[in-house]
Parts: sequence; structure tokens; C-alpha cells
Amino acid sequence: MTKTVVQFAILFVVLVLAQAIMFNNICLFNLAVPFFFIYFIIRLPVTLAGGWVITFSFLAGLIVDMFANTQGMNALACTLLSVMRRPVLRLYFPREDELTNPEPSIKSLGMEVYVKYLFTMVALYSTFIFLIEAFSFFDPVRLVLRILCSTLLTFLLLLGLDNVMSRSR
Amino acid sequence: MHNLIDFLLKNSKWFLFILYVVISCWLLFSNNPYQHHIYLTSANKVSRLVYGSASGVTEYFNLHDINEDLQLRNASLEQEVIDLRHQLRIYQEDAYADSLATDSLMSQFKFVIAHVISNSVSRAHNYITLDKGSLDGIKPEMGVVDQNGVVGIVNIVGEHSSRVISVLNPKMRLSCKVKGSEYFGTLVWDGKNSDEAVLEEMPRHERFTKGDTIVTSGYSAVFPEGIPVGTVMSHAKEHDDNFYALRIKLFTDFNTLSTVRVIENLMKDELNGLSAGEEND
Repeated sequence: MTKTVVQFAILFVVLVLAQAIMFNNICLFNLAVPFFFIYFIIRLPVTLAGGWVITFSFLAGLIVDMFANTQGMNALACTLLSVMRRPVLRLYFPREDELTNPEPSIKSLGMEVYVKYLFTMVALYSTFIFLIEAFSFFDPVRLVLRILCSTLLTFLLLLGLDNVMSRSR
Repeated sequence: MHNLIDFLLKNSKWFLFILYVVISCWLLFSNNPYQHHIYLTSANKVSRLVYGSASGVTEYFNLHDINEDLQLRNASLEQEVIDLRHQLRIYQEDAYADSLATDSLMSQFKFVIAHVISNSVSRAHNYITLDKGSLDGIKPEMGVVDQNGVVGIVNIVGEHSSRVISVLNPKMRLSCKVKGSEYFGTLVWDGKNSDEAVLEEMPRHERFTKGDTIVTSGYSAVFPEGIPVGTVMSHAKEHDDNFYALRIKLFTDFNTLSTVRVIENLMKDELNGLSAGEEND
């Protein structure tokens, strides 16, 4: 239990810092933005109480907001995402009690389900963040493009990260 | 009451959710100063620390571009400095020209300010080149002086430059007198020293003391009367014993000439016409 807490604390710090220092500066083709730190939200154990999930997500978003100077944008998107997490997981994996490991991963969910789950979460997050952003300037075609490109980029990045993480463990 | 607490506990997740959404939205949509509170922006201590150490690494990546930009900027600034210096020089010349006294004696003369662009003091025949020419109103046979004394006479004029025969040139013969007396002689350079010259043909009966000031005589149309030339250092007898030759220490420092004035004598043609008439008689 303590080990898991420490692991997630380290993951939290590393992901948020990586997002703040590196990934916030990336914007491929002026469209695709990688949202690296949401991996933390995706990986939080299913057994963790909903309140905690929402709180951690909110904090992660808030800290990224601090670094990126995007007032509350990521915080709001993260909060929304954290609520969506459980329903999305249930959608692809209805038998929650059968989970060997409470953390959603390739191992515990199986490749197919995990990839679907990951993609849906990333797509949701991209949609949230760009919709929130669209409150300030709205350009539908560009909005859709940005959502699609960012989803793809983040999805690929996080798959890669997954690969690295599962090997190191 | 019990039911209410139960309800709250059961749905604490949703209350948290609503709370966070409200906070986020408040941050997002309110434009009051709290939204831009220092702790919630990248201006806070932690961000500064993190960004500081990150940029400590990443700033090297951009050095090439930055260097290029700096070179470009440097070039443009240098160009600007040159332009400004040029302007400044024009203004300085104007100011210098305005500061000159124009008494009645001088009113027949006009000055053109010029800069020495080449100069020699060590040759047997020394010439000076100025950066002004015929387009600036310079003509041959105009006198050139600087702030200390006589420099020379314009010899050849181009459109934007002119050559001056320096005082330090045996071809130059300048009519001078001792200040305060009317006896005059001819100043020539003996080729020995860049700050000395010889004033020849001074009458023998006149007494001169060391330190007397020598000025132009004004007998030629080139220089006005009274322009300082130098001081008497010593005197020596000339071969025929009827005249003295005075060794003169020149006021003008030919080694450091920079800004000079070219004197235009507005009455030159008239004077030349008179002397031409004399010869005809």
C-alpha cells in the first residue's frame, strides 16, 4: 500500500514536471499538443475512492495550469476526466471485481481493453481542453483538427510511456 | 438529520466534483485580480525554480539562433552608430561654424569646415587631403587654418575632396609679420622639423625677441590678416647680411590635424583684379 502511494507520488511529480518543462512547449504543426501528465489520472487504482481521484486530478491540472499560465483550464478538464474515468472503464470492462490488479494497465485489463480505455480517456481530455479553450476563440474546423491531432499524439506518447513503465517494473 | 449526513457522505464525491469544477470555472472565467494571483501563475516560487533549472539546460539549444540574431542586431546597431556619428559631425560642424567670431575684418571671409582624411609630415613636400571639394564650395588658392593657426593653401580640388599644400612644404611661401609691427617676411619650411619653420627676409634693423608672435600679414588674398602662425624661437643672420632669418615654432600641430577651416575670401576676385590692373599699368 505504502509502496503504491510512493510510486504514485513520484509518478505525479515526474509527469507534472515533464508536462511543465517539456510537453507544454510542444505543439506539432501548430495543432497537436501532448497531454502527458493525464497518464497519472489514467493509472490511478480503480479501488481508490472517487473523492481522492477527483482531488488528485484537480491538483495535477491546477499545477500544470500554474506552469502554463492557463488559468483553471487543465484543472477543469482534469476534474471532468476524473469523473469520466469510472464509466469509461466500465464500458469496456464491466466485470470490475475480476481485476487482478486495481491499477488499469495492459496486464490487468488486457491489451485490447486497455488501448480502448487509454484512447477514450485521451480523446475525452483533448475534447474537454479544447472545448474549454474554445470559449475564448472559436474556430470549428481547427478545433476538431486540434482535438484529433492532440488525441493521436498523446495516445501514442502514452502508449510508449506504458511500454517503458511495464518494462521497468 | 441523519439522512442528510448519510446523503452528504454518500455523495461526497459529487460535491467534491462540483466544488472543483466551480473553482476551475472561477479561475477560468473571472477576470478579477485573484485569478491572476501569483501563486496560481508561473510567477510563483516553485515554477520559477523549476523553469530556472530547466532553462539552464535548454538555453544552450538555442544559442546558435540567438547568436545569429545578435550578430544581425549588432550589424544594424553598428550601422546606426555610423549614421548617427555622421549626423553628429554635421551638427558639430554647424556649431563650430556658428561659434566663430565674425567681426568686420572677417566679414569678407567665409569658412568651410572640413576634415583631414590624409596627412603627412615626414616627407620633403607634404600635402594634406580634405574631405570637402568643389561641391562644398572649395576652390584652389583658398587658405586653410585650424583652431591653432595656419595649415596650408588649397591646391587641387575634386568634387568631394581637395589637396592642400601644407605649410610643411617648401613650395609654400606665406607672407607673415611680427604681431604689433609692420615688418613682414616670408615663411618657408626648411624641411627639418614638423613644428618649426623659418621666417626669411626680415629687415635687419628691426629687433625681435624670443617669444614674439608671428601672424599672417594679410598682404595676400589667401589669408586674412592676423591669423596666428607661431612664435619666434631664435634668429640667425642670412648670407647677405641685410636680412634676418627667424626660426619659428609653429602653433599648428601637424601631427594631429583633424578638423580644419577653409577660408573663402569673398573679395578675392576684386583684389586679384586690382593687382592685375597694377601690372597692366
